[in-house]
Amino acid sequence: MSSSWRKEISALFVKEVQSELRGRSGLLNSLLFSLVTVVAVSLATFGHSISATFAAGMIWVALLFASSVALPRCFTLEEEQGTGDLLRLLARPHAVFWGKALYNLLLIFLVALVLGGLFLALVEIRGDRPVIPWLFLLSLLGAAGALAGAVTLCGALVAQAANRATLAGTISLPLLLPVLFLGVNGTRAGLGDGVLETGLTASIGLLCYGVASLAIGPYLFAAVWKH
Amino acid sequence: MGGATAWGFTAPPAKGFPRPDLARIIFFHLPCAIGSTLFLTFAAYASLRYLLDKKGDWDVRASSAMEMGLVLSILTLLTGMLFARVQWGAWWDWQEVRMTSFLLVFLIVAAYFALRSSFGDRTKGAQVSAIYVMAALLPCFLLIFVAPRLPQFQSLHPDVIGKGGFDPTYNSIFLSTLTLVVIGCVWIYRLRVRAGKLEIDLENLSAKLADRNRPSAPRVVEPVPLSPER
Repeated sequence: MSSSWRKEISALFVKEVQSELRGRSGLLNSLLFSLVTVVAVSLATFGHSISATFAAGMIWVALLFASSVALPRCFTLEEEQGTGDLLRLLARPHAVFWGKALYNLLLIFLVALVLGGLFLALVEIRGDRPVIPWLFLLSLLGAAGALAGAVTLCGALVAQAANRATLAGTISLPLLLPVLFLGVNGTRAGLGDGVLETGLTASIGLLCYGVASLAIGPYLFAAVWKH
Repeated sequence: MGGATAWGFTAPPAKGFPRPDLARIIFFHLPCAIGSTLFLTFAAYASLRYLLDKKGDWDVRASSAMEMGLVLSILTLLTGMLFARVQWGAWWDWQEVRMTSFLLVFLIVAAYFALRSSFGDRTKGAQVSAIYVMAALLPCFLLIFVAPRLPQFQSLHPDVIGKGGFDPTYNSIFLSTLTLVVIGCVWIYRLRVRAGKLEIDLENLSAKLADRNRPSAPRVVEPVPLSPER
């Protein structure tokens, strides 16, 4: 990667982080959503232990909704604040996509870590074997990659639509549901249920899906961003 | 189509099904699933051509193919539910990976129309929809071709085609219904494309008429004398 690309991408990434630190709405909303989900699960199960498979499913549902609500905001905000055109003039489309996707990756990984940590700390999880931390973390990292690529593109697609807030969830959730197929298998193996090899394969598959969506994303994004 | 249906009833009960005599719905279920996949793939090709050429015809072709894909995926799900009720005793089984994955494909296709209808500007909507189709191609292919073959997911679908377990009579009837369904759908698709192009022509004509009826400045500009020679 040449230094000009690196500069542009890092500038975009820093801009996103600074905007987030100024407003803190995306991160705070997502973290609060994670906490509320864990509290809701604890209340709904009356404090009884839940199986690792069920816990993995709940973590993934919470992650899907948190990401589909928080991540597309990075583009819809540009349009609402009128800064989109300035960004089009200053940065190349690939750099914009990568800057925002990296920021989304960081955000969703943070949320996934907090959500996973809260589940492990507050909910009694029943598995066939003890938790495998590295596999659990690998599945969360794969989740962050797969979700970040798809949601960043969806955010760009809906940014100029009339009902963008609702539409972001409507179009990003169906695209993210296939990720759930792989993700739950990886996470539940990490939490101590299911076959270990299957979980490892699923987590690696998830990472590959994330890499593929992050690789194809900039080209598709460039087509919509220029117009 | 009526002849093929009647022919289907003459076929012997299928092997490898819990209720072999009631398995004949696959003569329509499977062609619908194959047709849906073909139309979705063509929609991705048409979308790519639209992104490269920027010709409105390709957008009409892509959206018409998506419409056909949506209709065929609904038919696949409905016939699949009937099949599941008869063979497995339940309308839906969430453990059945083929059913679930096709439901997800249906949701992805349905979201295309939600996205398309959200743009007032036709060109912008076409551009964004084309990109969505390209982005949806990877998850759709994963769901249709990869997920049902993963060892961790169990499928109740009997693999009669893969193992060559179809009776020769079944093969002939299945190929006939597949050909008929594809020909019928292509015919409807072509009609839809023609209708779509006419819609665009009508819109352009209406816009021209509206421009013509709009009051405009007089066409002839008369010279105004600057010197006071009256």
